[in-house]
This record gives sequence, C-alpha cells and structure tokens, in this order.
Amino acid sequence: MSVLDVTNLGIRFGGLQALDDVNLSVREWEIVGLIGPNGAGKTTFFNCVMGVYKPSTGSASYRGTELIGLPTHHRVTMGIGRTFQNIGLVKVLPVIENMLIAQHAKANYGVLSSFFGTPNVLEEERTLHRNALEILDFMGLGPYRNAVVASLPYGLQKLTEIAAVLASDPEFLMLDEPTSGMSPEEAHAFGELLVRLRRELNLTVLMIEHHVPLVVAVCDYVYCLNFGKLLAEGGPDDIRRHPEVVAAYLGEEHASA
Amino acid sequence: MTERAGRRPSSRKAVSADPGAPATGDVDPVDVVAELAGDVAIEPGEGISSESEGFDQISAEDTEPGPSAAGWIARRGLIAIMVLGVIAAPLFYRGDAGQTKLTWMAIGLIYIIFGLSINVLVGYAGQISLGHQAFVGVGAFTSAYIVSVSHASFWVAFVLAGVSGAISAALLGFIALRLRGLFLALITLAYGTVAQFTLFNISSLTGGGAGARAPRPAGFTSNRQFAYLCMAVTAALLYVDWRMVRSKVGRAIFAIRENELSAASFGINITGYKLLAFTVSGVFAGLGGSLFAHQQQLVQASSFDFTFALTLVLMVVVGGLGSRVGVLIGSTFFALFPLVFNAISLYTALIGAIALLLTLTRFHGGIAEQIAPILRWFGGGTLRKHPRRVVRTGGESVSP
Repeated sequence: MSVLDVTNLGIRFGGLQALDDVNLSVREWEIVGLIGPNGAGKTTFFNCVMGVYKPSTGSASYRGTELIGLPTHHRVTMGIGRTFQNIGLVKVLPVIENMLIAQHAKANYGVLSSFFGTPNVLEEERTLHRNALEILDFMGLGPYRNAVVASLPYGLQKLTEIAAVLASDPEFLMLDEPTSGMSPEEAHAFGELLVRLRRELNLTVLMIEHHVPLVVAVCDYVYCLNFGKLLAEGGPDDIRRHPEVVAAYLGEEHASA
Repeated sequence: MTERAGRRPSSRKAVSADPGAPATGDVDPVDVVAELAGDVAIEPGEGISSESEGFDQISAEDTEPGPSAAGWIARRGLIAIMVLGVIAAPLFYRGDAGQTKLTWMAIGLIYIIFGLSINVLVGYAGQISLGHQAFVGVGAFTSAYIVSVSHASFWVAFVLAGVSGAISAALLGFIALRLRGLFLALITLAYGTVAQFTLFNISSLTGGGAGARAPRPAGFTSNRQFAYLCMAVTAALLYVDWRMVRSKVGRAIFAIRENELSAASFGINITGYKLLAFTVSGVFAGLGGSLFAHQQQLVQASSFDFTFALTLVLMVVVGGLGSRVGVLIGSTFFALFPLVFNAISLYTALIGAIALLLTLTRFHGGIAEQIAPILRWFGGGTLRKHPRRVVRTGGESVSP
C-alpha cells in the first residue's frame, strides 16, 4: 500500500512553472530519495505536500486521505513529520524545550486550563517531559538537553531536529537535506542512523538529498527532479548511471563523454 | 506507475557507501541507545562528531553541582523576604506621605500588568504594538461606564473590561495575520491614535473631554485597600503568565515567533495561536485598564495618547523582551520614575531614550540580560558570568 501518492502535481509562481506534472509514490517502509540540482523544485514539492503552498494542479494523498487543501498543522496527527533544510527548531531555546514544542499535538489538555496550571496539565507536561528525555537518550542527545540549540555544532542541531520530529510520533518522515553541512563521514553515520530508525520505529521516509553515496547506500528508490519536471526514477544504481541525471548534475558534455 | 523491481523492504541494504566502514544496517537491534550514542552523537572523531570547541562548556554546565542545603535556604529565604516585604509594605505607609506611596505602589503594580500584557504580544509572540494604549483605554472606559452608568458591581465591570480588551486586541490580531513588521507597526499606531481621538471621545460612553467617573469598589476605597487589590490581581496575572509559558500555549507562541513553517509542521495552528496571543494580551490590558480607571477614579481620553503607548513599549524593551522579571523591573521603573522624582516629562523621555538606545545597540536583552547571573543564582546556579550569551534562564527567555 502506498503511504504517499502524488499525481500530476504542478504549481506555478507567476511566469515560473516550479513543478510540472510530478508523479511520485512512497510505499510502506521504503526510504525514497528525491534528488535534483539546486532550484529543481524539491523543497517546493515538500511545501506542496505539506500544505504550505497550494498546488495549481494534481493531488497528493497520504494513506488514502487527500492532503491538498488541508491546513499544514493537521498533518502531524496523521503521522507525517517534516524536517527543514535550515533546521526548523527554535534555536534560542534549549533542546528540551524544542522537544516539548514538537509534542504540541500530543498535549491533550485544554487551552484554557494551560493558563491555570490545573493538575491534568501538570500531569501531561510531566509525561511529555519524560517522552522527550527518552527520545533524547535514544538519539544520544541526553547530555545536551539543557543546551541552547544555537550553541550546538551544526551536525548535532540537525540530529536534534530529527529527535524533535520523532517526538511527534511520525510514521512517515519527510527530510529536507538532512545531511547538508555534514562531512562525508557524518553523512555516512547519518545513513546508518536512518536505516536503524526505520527498523526500530517502523518508519517510511522520503528525503531530499544531495549526497550521492548516501542516496545509493540507503534509498530503495530514487526520483530525480530537474526544472520542476520528473527527469528519471528508478533504483539508486540505475539513477546514478542515468545519462540525463548525470547531464543535469554535471552538464551535457560529461553525459555524452 | 511501473512495478519497481527489487525494492521491497526485505531487500533493504546495508549502508555501504564507505567500504572501510562497518555495515550496520543488518545487525541485530541490540542496544540502540548505546550504539547511537557511540556511533553518531558523541564519540569524538566518528559519526556526527563533537569536535566543536563549544562542547566542554555545554557538558560541563550540565554536570555542575547544585547548591548545598544552606544555599537553597539562602535563595528561598531571600525570595521570601522580598515577597513578604512587598506584601507588608502598605501596612507601614502611614500619614500623608504614606498615602502618596500607596498611590505609587498601586500605579507601579498596574504598570506591571500593562508590561505583562505587552510582553505577551511583543516578547513572546514577536508582534509589534504601538497602539497598546487603545486596549488599556477600552478596558478603562468599559469599566468606568459599567460602574458609573449601569451601576453594576465593580467585579462585573472588571471582568467585562478584560473581555472588551480581548475583543479589541483580537480585532487587531486579525489584521496582524496578514501584515508584519513595519506595516503592522503603522496599523497599530493608527489604531491607538484613532481610538484616542474618536472612540474615547464619544460623550455618551466616555463623558467626552470631561472624562468618565470610575468610583472605587466597596471595600477597596482607601489607597491601602486598593493597593492590595492591585497586588492580588498582579500576582494572579503573574501566575497565569508563568503557567502559560510552561504549557503548550506558551511554547506554540514562541515557536510561531521563531519559525511559522516549522511550527505548523509540528501541528501548531498558526492562525489560532496568533489570535490567542493577541487575546491574552488584550485581557491583561483590559484588566489593567480597569484597575487604572478606578485607581484614578476619573478616566479621560487624553490619558491614552501616543506617549503612553511609547512608554508601554519602552518599559518592556528596556526591561528585557520575553523576560518576566525584566518586565517587572522595567515597568516599575518607568511607572515610578516620573512620580518619585517628580520629574517633568522631558527627563523621563530623556532617560527612556538613553535606556532604549543602550538596549538596542549594546544590550539586546535589556535589564534582564544584565541581571541574568543573579536570576541564575536564584535558580540554583552560580553567580559567575556565563561563558556564552544567555538566551534563557530559569524559564525566562530573552531574545538575542
């Protein structure tokens, strides 16, 4: 069964056709890569699926539920978690506070009772706190729980964002360049982490990624976007050798050479 | 869509990008916590490494031993003495001089309420309000009208003042959903000014230029009693503010301030919580306005001019945006300075301007940043200056 099914997705910004007739599907328990040169429309694609932009054509359904037209904040309770290229954390707050922010949808107490610190609020807050610490320990971030996010090195900030998204109990992760700013070794370690997270937490993953060795290593299937159009799709090894993909990344002469 | 060969989960492959590295994709799921910690997060030189120089400080801070039992007694004792001092102070203000001091105290406490109100909007939610005097004014006139014209009880008026403040702020909130930055600042500026010259001059509601009478409620007619009323309300609102910050509401508002996109993807309803921030700010302003009206016993439209709005913003910015203690100090200072020193408004404006310039150019965290070591000490830390910029101490966040 498909987790995410996107058909004929298109969006136009003024004169620019940012996405044109994109079809993509992610199945249960897959790690799917979305690659493409800068400006190909990868993040725009994420934003359309997440409801940040309203696409002009096409549909996107998550386990059979249509996503287009649904406000962004509804997705987290459906099990969709998203990370950002430039880290979607509140960087002036400590790690632990961000873990609590990420669990917003899990706090069931009423808005009004939040202002009075009623016993049920305090009880739920303790539970959220416990969950947060558990996930931080799971990710090996326990020692940094009280550190302000901005004070952490970039790689750890990235990892903290993953931890925060995991705290919201996702079944489907959309990662936007999770290894940007990491060294090749760090990216490799991240790949190991991702494979393990999938196994431990039963995750399905769609990730935008530039780091080709990582894509080849962990992805089950790869889509390549160029100028808003789907250029190629297939297994990671096929994509790596695909002449049009090589041309898009390196220029025509390399492809023909 | 075509069938994808060889891509079912069973064919999941081990990570093999680097031939020299161990492939771990297919090992047994043993102790993931330990392995992740070892492989990815912490062990230097491997995985997502910890080579940055900031690390020792972070972990060192984490393992810092807390204060001894005596240390805690000293901290708690000092806080208790300060709180008891404020509570007991009105009992010692006697005679004519005492009456003046009781008035000052009430005004200081009311300004703290104003400060909390604007802090919710500007400090927590990151919006701007240069027309905050309008919400205060709406609360003040509502309260005065209900007590002196409808002859209803003060308590009814007090609650309705909060409601009317909330409605007027929520109206502005709807505009703020579409505008930001300079444009929002201009709209709020216009909102406040227009309210002062039109809304607050409707004779049948506000008494026009002569003003509306706002008698004090029975049981709180003396300055001392009224100071205690203000103290009780301020304490209650401080509690509400504290609980809000420590709940999903406060966190949602912070998250929206920093990054709306990621806040929404964490399930936070941006529209709802932005409006909520305006509403909460409006409730605080309205309640403060009600106390303000009955403290003065006469409300006039001219009290709610732009200078008043500027003072409100100034005291919060100089006190330290987002910091409860900073707002408390800033508000008290700007409320009492002109009264205590009987200074003409020029000096107040001058001091305010210098403090604002210093805050904007040198010390973004305002007074709260300057006293951060002290606040940390009260929270169980040491007095030493923090190695890096303090962004949050003991539940108080200060935007850099």
